[in-house]
Amino acid sequence: MSYWMRWKSLFKRKQLDRDLEDELAFHLAMREAKNRERGLRAEEARYAARRKLGNVTRIKEACREVWSFVSLETTWRDLRYGARALGKNPGFTAVAVLAIALGIGVNTGIFSVLNGVALKLLPVPKADQIVSVDQVFHGKVRRNVHGEPGLFSFPEYKNYQANNHVFSGLLAYAPFLDATALGGENPKQLMGAEASCNFFDVLGERPALGRAFVEEDCRAPGGSPVVVLSDELWRTQFGADPLVVGKSISLNRARFVVIGVAAPGFRGLDPWPSAFWAPVSMQKALEPERDFLNEENTGWLALLGRMRPGVSLEEVRADLGVIAGRIDQQYSGRTTTLAIHRATFMGRPEERSVVFSIGVVVLAAVGLVLLIACANVANLLLARASSRQKEIAIRLSIGGSHWRIMRQLLTESLLIAFLGGILGSLVAFWSLEGIARYVLTHLPHGAPELMWNVRPDLHVWGYSLGLTAFTGIIFGLAPALHATRQDLSTAVKGDSGGLMRKSGGGMLRSTLVGVQVAVCMVLLIAAGLLMRGLHYAQTVDPGFEMRGITQAQFDLPSQGYTVERARTFQRELMARVASLPGVDQVEQARVTPLGHQWEGTGLTLTGETQERGFEFNVVTPGFFAMLGMPMVRGRTFTEAETQAAAPVLVVTESTARRLWPGQDALGKTLRGEDKKEFQVVGVVRDSQASHLGQTDGLFFYWPAGPHEQERLQLLVHSKGGDVAAINGIREAARGLDADLIVDVRRLEDNLEGWRIPSRIVAALSGVLGVLALLLASIGVHGVVSYGVSQRIREIGIRVTLGADGRDVMRLVLRQALWPVVIGALAGVIGCAAVSQVLSSVLYGMGAHDPIAFVGVPLFLLGVAFLASYIPARRAVRVDPVVALRYE
Amino acid sequence: MEKDGDLMQGTLDMLVLKALARGAKHGYGVAEWIHESSNDVLQVEEGALYPALHRLELKGLLAAQWGTSENNRRAKYYSLTPAGRKKLAEEAEYWRRMSGAIARVMQTA
Repeated sequence: MSYWMRWKSLFKRKQLDRDLEDELAFHLAMREAKNRERGLRAEEARYAARRKLGNVTRIKEACREVWSFVSLETTWRDLRYGARALGKNPGFTAVAVLAIALGIGVNTGIFSVLNGVALKLLPVPKADQIVSVDQVFHGKVRRNVHGEPGLFSFPEYKNYQANNHVFSGLLAYAPFLDATALGGENPKQLMGAEASCNFFDVLGERPALGRAFVEEDCRAPGGSPVVVLSDELWRTQFGADPLVVGKSISLNRARFVVIGVAAPGFRGLDPWPSAFWAPVSMQKALEPERDFLNEENTGWLALLGRMRPGVSLEEVRADLGVIAGRIDQQYSGRTTTLAIHRATFMGRPEERSVVFSIGVVVLAAVGLVLLIACANVANLLLARASSRQKEIAIRLSIGGSHWRIMRQLLTESLLIAFLGGILGSLVAFWSLEGIARYVLTHLPHGAPELMWNVRPDLHVWGYSLGLTAFTGIIFGLAPALHATRQDLSTAVKGDSGGLMRKSGGGMLRSTLVGVQVAVCMVLLIAAGLLMRGLHYAQTVDPGFEMRGITQAQFDLPSQGYTVERARTFQRELMARVASLPGVDQVEQARVTPLGHQWEGTGLTLTGETQERGFEFNVVTPGFFAMLGMPMVRGRTFTEAETQAAAPVLVVTESTARRLWPGQDALGKTLRGEDKKEFQVVGVVRDSQASHLGQTDGLFFYWPAGPHEQERLQLLVHSKGGDVAAINGIREAARGLDADLIVDVRRLEDNLEGWRIPSRIVAALSGVLGVLALLLASIGVHGVVSYGVSQRIREIGIRVTLGADGRDVMRLVLRQALWPVVIGALAGVIGCAAVSQVLSSVLYGMGAHDPIAFVGVPLFLLGVAFLASYIPARRAVRVDPVVALRYE
Repeated sequence: MEKDGDLMQGTLDMLVLKALARGAKHGYGVAEWIHESSNDVLQVEEGALYPALHRLELKGLLAAQWGTSENNRRAKYYSLTPAGRKKLAEEAEYWRRMSGAIARVMQTA
């Protein structure tokens, strides 16, 4: 019944209003009659009755609130009123909506990227039951790591699988498996995975063709060479052959029988799509140089479990924690904690920390842009509220409650927020797929192919909606509070442009401008630093010669090469390449300079017990000459030392300086893990051969002896031009082994991979900086214009009293620029504090680069000056006669 | 500012229900009944009375009907619904216990 009345109140509002009117009139009449009975005169009786009843408007409003579906009905009215108010002022509305659209748009865009990369649940049925399990080790840890440190060994997996009480199934897979597939025209490099045989069952994924693994496939090591293909590999390699089941494919030169094809939507559990899945028991066939299945202390498997119905994450943590504790007893001094979460992409702790540290910085940056937009719109609203002061004052004095009027004003700002939010989000969603595609196709050579689902889901819509509502309240609250807290008598009299009146909103407005400028300053300096970093990365001299050098990279061990075969292969390849026209030098190295591969080991200084961590490379004697790295002391390896794998090494200059300060490094010795002593025979000049912009790590070179041959890459110097050398090397390699994938590129191409991160970051921060600057200058301009229009009369009087244009200009600019200067100062100080965060991508550049820290503030002040100069000129041209008549 | 005879919200609702226990009354009648039954001690804040009546009506504790008053004017008459009667009984019981308790506390020397 009462709902019916509420609905009736919505539609029969006139009727109800009349009824209320009658009811109160009746009350007054009765009271008046009673007063008359008590002997009051007619006039007095009426006034007494009114006094007793109180403010009729307020009672009516209170009653209406009671019956109307309070929010629904009034909100609708507020909305209509707000829409009308906004429509009356299209210029203001457009600027405000655009500012908010920019702010919300960049935020929504960035969040949906973050969501696509790391927050979405896995694309499998009932994904909320799937949890990922990772280990974090503490204390004394000695462990072999293949991939990431949190991965499990096979015996550990078996232990967790057999002894847990919380999973209906626990699967394991190796996420980083490179394989060369044969069968097509050319050998093809694939990313695949070795998986436990319950892999598809636990995930609830049914193959589109054929079958998934069964337990028998995982029974005996090497016993079941079967493979499930991804939909994409099935299409590219087998032309979507419906009879593919039973055919075979060569992976890393072992034959595998295709037993099934995964459903089209399933591309594995990592952002890099998996092309195939083989049983974990086939590990040695796929990676002949390693035998992981029996190693207890080698981490290489990621674990995912499906929780039994009704089991909570807490129970999973408790149950698996017991097993972890039991395993720890085998390793004295080590404790393991488990990181257990709902499974997502990028869910392993190392990946998570990378994604979140980047995500936090970027979200903070776009949050700052939104903050500027909010301050901007708040300022516009403040300026507008003062021109609506009279209207609001009248509403307040005829009994409108403060809350009602505030709600009205907030509705207006929410309306702006939602218009802007919707506009911004739609543009963001629409442009994001394009941007993502652009970024993914411009990743450096050798980066894995990524799948990146940035399509908005409920998370994103919720985020965008919440942010929009929050924004609307944030920028609307201060102006609304300010507007309803005014002095009624002066406002109603319309004394708004009063002489020398200290407008109460002036302080608030200046503060908002200061905040905008400060935030803008932070973003611009950050952008400036990053741009400088990018410039530096583009032009940096790595300290060695790259021109004319071609690199050939290949992986022999995974293709089943023994040391003897590798030796033969390398010898013949080097001979063939050396005879190519134009080629004048061929050298070998374990890793190519700046190739994003690093080798590390521990060595102990003679006379010390504490081991130190070194990076190293294994090279042939001519390596240093080819790359233009001169010896500062001593010599390079001799041919005899190389052939005999003599215990000698060459260290870099800064390594020598750090290990033996003030002494001659030649003849000093270092002890390896197996107590073998290595003697320093040379000191080579520092270069950035390992990390661009960095020379200060401990680094040494070992000679590339006969036992190293299976892991060496080729470096070729030629005078005949890059293309000829690249094609010649490819041909030579194909002539020796057509099934081997050989990656031949210019050495200079390695620089690309170092520039990409700073290029992406610089582009992003540049765009954000320009947005911030645009918003902030609109803000400054708007506030100064408003200030001038409010003080027209004062300026007129000053001009009448003899002030000239320069005085007026000085007056206006001084008032306009002090919040800007204070804001700018705050921004510079703030940025000096946060710039350390950026230093990781600023190759070789200090975080307090003077050009960014002096140039950017000057630039911003210039822009602010311009933004206030334009309205200030208007003030100079004020005609005193017109100004004094202005009101 | 507290004045003697001011009524708190919850108490007002209870008194309104009580006023209607013996039959339908219009708003003015409710105010007068409370004033008179309290020997002119309690003054109903008339500004709060009407929103309270409407609120109770919406809650389904009161029913309302338009009728003609003793002086032949159109007036809105409120009466208790069964739910209102039940609520009144509860409130009265609660009030009895509370006031008894408070009285005992205040009498303790």
